[in-house]
Amino acid sequence: MDLFRRLFTQSQAKPDEPVSKVVEPELLEEQKAPEATTVPIPAVNVVEEKDEPEIAYADGATRPLPPETVITTSNMHLTFGQSTDVGMVRSNNQDAAFSFFSTSRNADQRPDFGLFIVADGMGGHHDGEKASAATAHIVAAQVTNNVYLPMLTGENDADRIPITEALVSAVQKANADIIARIPDGGTTLTATAIIGDLAYVVHVGDSRIYLITKDGIEQITRDHSLVQRLIELDQLKPEEAAHHPQRNVLYRALGQSESLEIDALTRRLPPNSRLLLCSDGLWNVVEEKDMLGIVLAHDDPQEACDKLVALANTNGGADNITAILLYIPSS
Amino acid sequence: MPETQKFAGGSGDNSSDNSLQANSVVHRRYKILGILGQGGMGAVYQARDLNFPDVHKLVAIKEMLNPATDPAIHNSTLKLFQREANILATLNHAAIPKIFDFFDQNERFYLVMELIVGSDLEELINKTKELPVDKVIDWAIELCDVLEYLHTSQSKPIIFRDLKPSNIMIDNFGKVRLIDFGIAKIFDSDVRRHTMIGTEGYCAPEQYKGNVTTLSDIYGLGATLHHVLTRKDPRLEPPFSFGERPIREFNSNVPERFVEAIERALSLEPDKRFNSASEMKADLERLRYQPQVAFSAGSDVKDGTNFFDGLDADGAIQPKWKYPTEDEIRASASIYKEMVFVASYDTNVYGVNLSDGEFAWKYATHGGIAASPIVDESNRLVLFGSEDKTFYALDCRNGRISWSYTTQDKIRSTARIAPDVDAVFFGSDDGHLHALNVLNGRFLWKHDMGDPIRSRPFIFNDLVIVGSESGEMVALELSGNRKWGFRARRSLTSSPYVDTIEGICYVGSTDGYMYALDASSGYSSWRFRTNGPIISSPIVHEGLLYFGSADGYLYAINAQTSREKWKFQTEKAILSSPVVHNGAVYFGGIDEYFYCVDIQTGKERWKFKTNGAITSTACIASDVILIGSLDKTLYALPLVG
Repeated sequence: MDLFRRLFTQSQAKPDEPVSKVVEPELLEEQKAPEATTVPIPAVNVVEEKDEPEIAYADGATRPLPPETVITTSNMHLTFGQSTDVGMVRSNNQDAAFSFFSTSRNADQRPDFGLFIVADGMGGHHDGEKASAATAHIVAAQVTNNVYLPMLTGENDADRIPITEALVSAVQKANADIIARIPDGGTTLTATAIIGDLAYVVHVGDSRIYLITKDGIEQITRDHSLVQRLIELDQLKPEEAAHHPQRNVLYRALGQSESLEIDALTRRLPPNSRLLLCSDGLWNVVEEKDMLGIVLAHDDPQEACDKLVALANTNGGADNITAILLYIPSS
Repeated sequence: MPETQKFAGGSGDNSSDNSLQANSVVHRRYKILGILGQGGMGAVYQARDLNFPDVHKLVAIKEMLNPATDPAIHNSTLKLFQREANILATLNHAAIPKIFDFFDQNERFYLVMELIVGSDLEELINKTKELPVDKVIDWAIELCDVLEYLHTSQSKPIIFRDLKPSNIMIDNFGKVRLIDFGIAKIFDSDVRRHTMIGTEGYCAPEQYKGNVTTLSDIYGLGATLHHVLTRKDPRLEPPFSFGERPIREFNSNVPERFVEAIERALSLEPDKRFNSASEMKADLERLRYQPQVAFSAGSDVKDGTNFFDGLDADGAIQPKWKYPTEDEIRASASIYKEMVFVASYDTNVYGVNLSDGEFAWKYATHGGIAASPIVDESNRLVLFGSEDKTFYALDCRNGRISWSYTTQDKIRSTARIAPDVDAVFFGSDDGHLHALNVLNGRFLWKHDMGDPIRSRPFIFNDLVIVGSESGEMVALELSGNRKWGFRARRSLTSSPYVDTIEGICYVGSTDGYMYALDASSGYSSWRFRTNGPIISSPIVHEGLLYFGSADGYLYAINAQTSREKWKFQTEKAILSSPVVHNGAVYFGGIDEYFYCVDIQTGKERWKFKTNGAITSTACIASDVILIGSLDKTLYALPLVG
C-alpha cells in the first residue's frame, strides 16, 4: 500500500500541474478531522509531502484515499484507461480498441480532442480480428485527417463538414474496405470523438457506450440486436433477453452490406461524468450496477478498466472483453 | 442469396465432402443426376427414378444430416423424421409437392419428392425489375389457400413456420408451390453461441419466444408479400421494421386495400392479424375481382370524408376576437400582463387589450414593420425596429416613446435582451449587429458582418449568436469580441436557437439544411437536409427539434441523432416558426392555415383558415393563441387541445 501510494504521488509530482484547485472540499475536511497537527494540507503542499505517511494514519483506520486524491487534483483534462483481454474461453482476441487524446494550452484555444474506438470482430479464420483491426485503424485515420488535423491547423474554419458526417463517412469507408478485403469478416463499431465536452458518437452493432454519473449509469447506444429490437417493440421482456438463445444475433454490423446504416448522436458530457465503451464480452457478464460500482470506486480510469475486465473473467469470461473508460474533468 | 447465416460456424462446409456423387444410385432406385441446391442440412439432388426404365421420370431428393451423436437423441430424431414424413406423404394439395418415398442411409435421411420446374420467388425478385401486382395478388391467394389447407386439414394444424420467398416456387404454369417443409427443422440443432450477423427477416416476433401458431404463418406471408412488392429484403433491415417501409412508397401500383391486408398480416400482436388464412384469402379475393379503377374511387371517397372532418374542425375553432390592421402582419405579437403588442406593415405598433382585443394605443413609425415587438418586463418597454431604419423603445402602458436609435438601413431583425447586463441586441440591413443599453438606448458597440442581418440574435452563456444573409454566423461575447464563426452555404434568415441544457445551437439556412453546432465552439455536429430553403426558426422541446421548411413540411427530428420522428405536410411553404405548448406544436403556413399538430403522433388536431399567408410565430397566453396573418388581421384563438 505504501509503495503503491508512493508510486502514485511521485508520478503526479509534476511542478507545473495546478494541483491545488480541484481538491474536493469533502476530502479536505475528512482529512482534517482526525488530527490537525499532521494534516494541515493546503493542497499545494501535497506534492512536497509525497513521501510522508500523512493522512490516514492518525486513527489507524483503513483509508485508501491518498493516491486517488492526488489523481483527481491533477485532472484538469480528460483522462482515460483502456483494457482488453481474450477472456477465459476463446483462443484469440477479436476485439480491437483504440484510444487517442490530445490537449494543449496556448493562445489559439483549440479544444481538447479525443478519439476512442471499440470494435468486436466476428468470423472464422482470423477474419473477425482482421475486420475489427482494420475498422479501428481506418476510422482513426479518417477522423484524424478530416476532423483532428483541420482543427489543429484551423483551416476551413468556416465551412468544415459537420463532425458527425465526418465520423459517419469514416465508418462507411471502413465498411467498404472490409467488404472488399475481408469478405467473410464482420465487426461491430462503437466510437466517440470528444471535442471539448461534447461527445460525438457513431455506433453499429452491440458494443456499448455508458454514461456514468454519480446518479447512475445510462446506456447511450442502442444495440442492433434481434433481442433488443424485440424489447423495443414490447415483444420481449428485458429479463427474458438476458438468456435468450439468440441474444447474439445482430441485424447490423460492418462487413454485412454495402448500404450500412449508422447510428450517430451527440451528447454533452456533464462535469465529472465518466464514459465507458465496451464490447459485449463485458456487458453480457457484468451487471450495470457492478459497472457503476467499480467505476465510481476508482479515481484512476486504468485501474477501473482492469477491474471491470477482471470481473468479466471472474464471471466466466465467455467472450473477448474490452473496456475503455474516460473520466471527464470537472470543468 | 444474402448470407444471412454467414457466421453460423463452419458446419455447412464439410457436409459437401460426403454428398452423393453424380451417377451414383441410392436406395437401389434413384440415380443421382446433379445437385439442385445446397442448404445448411444437406443438399437437394435431381435424380432419375429407375423403377421407370422406359421413361425419364425425374424426382427431387432432399438430404438431411442427423447431427446427433448421442444414440438416444439420434434415434428420437429418426422417429420424428419418420412421423413427419408420413404426415407429409398424406397431404394432398396442388401447392404441396408430392412425397414419393423416404429412407435413411449412412446417417443421412432422404426424402424423395416431386421435382418442380420453375423459379423460387427470391430468384424471381432478383431476375425481374418488377412483378405485376395482379400476379402477386393471385399468388397471395394461392398461398392463403395452401396455408388454410395445412392449418385445418389434419387433426393438428401443420405450421409451415418458415414462409419466405426462397421457399415459394412459381412453377412453369405460374402456380405457387411450397417447397421447404418444416421437416428440415427437426435436424436444425444449430445452437447459436457465436455472435452472428443477419436475421431470418420473415419470422413473426412470437416465434422468438417459442410461441409458434398458425398466425405466425400469416405474418410470414405478409413479410414475403412486403418483400416481393417493395423489393426491400427484410434480412438486410432491422427486424420487424416493415412499418417503416410503407409499400406504396416503393411501389405505387399496389392498391391501398392490398397494402392494408399486408399491414394487418404484419401486426406484431398475433390477435391483430387475420384470424385465419381463410379470412385473409377472402379479403384478398375481394381485391382480385374489382377493377383497379374502383380503388382510386374508393380513396377519393375517403379524401372526401377527411375534407368534411376538416370543416368540422374549422367550425369548432372560432376566434375569441380579431384585431384588424391596415397592412400585412408579418411579425409575431407579444404579451405583457393584460396587453398585446402587435406590429403591422402599416407602420404602426398597436397596444391591444388581451381579454377583448380592444384598441388601447398605437405608435406610428415611418416605415413598414417586419420585426416582432419584444417586451422588457423589468423596464416595461416594448422594443422593435422599423424599416424606417430606426429602433424604438416605447412605454408599454401608453405607447409613448422612451428612446430611439437610428441605424444606416432598414431593421427587420427582432431584438433580444440580455437582462443581466441591461443590453439589447438586434441586426440591421446595414450589416451590423447593434448592442444598446436597454434603459436609455445608449450605443454600446456594433459588430460588422458585412451583410444584412435579419435573424434574431440568441443569447447563451454570455454569447450573442446571430446569422447574416451571407450565411455567416458569429458568436460574440457580450463585450463584442468574436468567439467563433460558422458559415452555411446560403443565407441565415432563420434565427438560431440554443438548447440551453445540451448547449447545442440549431439554425436553418436557405441552403435547405438545418445545422446543429456546439454553441461554445461553433463546431458543427450534424446537418439535416430538407427539400426547400429553411426560413422558419427551430425550437427544441423534450429532445425533439421542430422547424418548417419551404418544402411544405413541418419536421420533428431527434436533436441528438438528427433522425426524423415525423413530418407533417402542408399545402405550401412553411416560413412561420413553430411553438410547442401542451403536447401540441402550433405554426402557420403560406397555405393560409394555422395548424395545431400533436407532437407525439405528428397528426393534425385542428387547423384554422385565415385569409392570407401566415409567416409569423404564434404567441401563447394563458388561454389564447395569438397569430397574425398577411390578411392584416391578428387572431386570438381559444387554446383547445
